[in-house]
Amino acid sequence: MPPPGLDNLKHIVVLMMENRSFDHMLGALKAKDSRIDGLTGTETNPDTTTAAAPVLPAAEFQSQLDPDPDHHFPAVNLQIFNGGTTPTMQGFVKSYFNQRQDVAHSQKIMYYFTPEKLPVLSTLATEFAVFNRWFSSIPGPTICNRAFAHYGTSFGKVAMDLFYVNEPFKSIYNRLIDANPKHTAKLYYFDETSSTMEIVNLLQHQPELFGTYKDFMDGCKKGQLPDYCFIEPNYNDHDGDDGEQLASDQHPDHNIQAGESFIASVYQAIKNNANLWKSTALLVVYDEHGGIYDHVPPPPCTPDGFVASANDTGIGAEFKFDRLGVRVPAILISPWVPKGTVVDGRIFEHASIPATVTEHFIGAYDQRSPREKQAETFLDLLTSPTQRTDCPDFQDE
Amino acid sequence: MAIIKVPVAPSSSMNQDRVVSGLLKSQILHLQEAELRLPAKYQTNIYIHSIRTERDAGEYIRQVTEAIHSAHASRLRLIKKRKPTPTFEIAAAAAEPRDTRTKKAPAKKKKKGRK
Repeated sequence: MPPPGLDNLKHIVVLMMENRSFDHMLGALKAKDSRIDGLTGTETNPDTTTAAAPVLPAAEFQSQLDPDPDHHFPAVNLQIFNGGTTPTMQGFVKSYFNQRQDVAHSQKIMYYFTPEKLPVLSTLATEFAVFNRWFSSIPGPTICNRAFAHYGTSFGKVAMDLFYVNEPFKSIYNRLIDANPKHTAKLYYFDETSSTMEIVNLLQHQPELFGTYKDFMDGCKKGQLPDYCFIEPNYNDHDGDDGEQLASDQHPDHNIQAGESFIASVYQAIKNNANLWKSTALLVVYDEHGGIYDHVPPPPCTPDGFVASANDTGIGAEFKFDRLGVRVPAILISPWVPKGTVVDGRIFEHASIPATVTEHFIGAYDQRSPREKQAETFLDLLTSPTQRTDCPDFQDE
Repeated sequence: MAIIKVPVAPSSSMNQDRVVSGLLKSQILHLQEAELRLPAKYQTNIYIHSIRTERDAGEYIRQVTEAIHSAHASRLRLIKKRKPTPTFEIAAAAAEPRDTRTKKAPAKKKKKGRK
C-alpha cells in the first residue's frame, strides 16, 4: 500500500529559479544542522595571486555579482577542474577573475548567504526535504539545463543556442496530454513581458500549453490546477498591469529578495487552499549554479546518448554528457514530507523531474533518454503517516 | 504554526535600464527564430540588435509572445471554420430563414507612398 501522501497526490508543481549554487544559498545551514552538506567555513579557492580566498557570509541581495559570473561550458570546466583533470572545485575565483581582472572582486564568487537573509528558502529547507545532492544536468548555462527538466535531455546541446526536439523523446507535457487516460499539464510564465525560456519547441508550436502566473494563482484559488505545473519566474524588470514588476528569477544582478517573495507566494497560494495543499507536491529547484562557488564535485553519470563536439564545448574536447553540472538548491515541499528531512546518499538532477512526473502519472514509459531512465525519482519522500499541521506560513513584512 | 515575515525588495532595486544579460539575449534570439516563422502580419519588425536594456527586451518579448498566441488562435479559428459541415446540419440550416442583412465590406488599407 502506498504511503498516504502518495495516495493523495494529484498535482506536482515545479518552480525553477535561476543561477545560484547550493552553498551560496543554503551552505550556511550546515551550522544549524550538520546533516546538511553545506559549508564548514574553511573552504577556499586560490585567487590569481595564489592567496587563498575563503568562503564568507557576505553575499548581498544585489549589485555584488556584476558582471554576471560566467557559466558557459568552458568557464564551468575551469571552475570544476581548475585546469587539471580532477574535479577539485578550485577554479571559481580564477574563472571570475577572467571577467574583470580584479583580484578583490573575483573573491566575491565565494560569498554566501546566512539563513537570516533568506528566510523563505532557509525555512523551506529546514521544514521540508532538502537535497544534499541535486546537481544541474550539464556543467553549462540555462537553456540546456532547463531542457533536461522538460525533456530529460538537451539533445546534445551544452550552450544557449537553439535546439530542436528529436523523436522519440517527447516533452513531459506531451507525454501527459497524449497519455491514456489523458493528463493535464501547463507551463506558467510570469506574464507576456517575461515569457518563457522554452520557446523554440513548445511556445512556438503549442502555445496552448502555457498560462501566466496569474492563471496559476487563479487555479490555486479555485482548486483547479493541472496534474503537472511548471512555473517560471519573472526574468526582467518591467511595468505590468499591476504596476512595476521586479524580476524574481534571482539571476545576477536581480534582487534576491524579490525571488524570496516569489517563492513564498507560490508556496502560500498552494497552502491557502486546503484541498490543494494536501494533494500537491512542490519542488523548488535552481536551473544551474550561475558560476558561483559550491564545494561538492559533480559526479559522473549515465551518458544520454548524445555527444557535444569539441567545437560546441569550447574546451577542445567533446562532451559525452557523462558528468553532471554543479550542485544547486532543491527542496521538496508537501505536508506529507516529515519536518527536517535531509536527502542524502542519492543523486538527483533535472532529469529527475520528468522521470518522477512520468512515473507517478503514466507509469512504465520506454521512450525516454538513458539519463532520464536512470534518474532518481523523489516522491518516495512523502512518507509522513499523517498530514502535517505544523507547516509555516509566509507573510510580507 | 509559525508565521515567517518576508522582507519586500526595495523599489529602488527596479532598474529597467539595466543592460540585458546573456540569458535575455538568448531569449530574444529564440523568440526571433519563432517570430520569423510567423505570417508576416504578426511580425514586429523590431531590429533585435538595437535592444540594449531590460525595458527594450521586455517590450520585444511581450510583442512576440502575444503575436505567437494571436497567430495560433487565428489558425485555430480558421481550422474550425473550414471544418466540413455534417449533412444533417446542412439540412437543418436550409430550414432556417436566410440572413438578409447586408455585410459591410472590410475597410481597405490606405497605401502609403507615391500615388
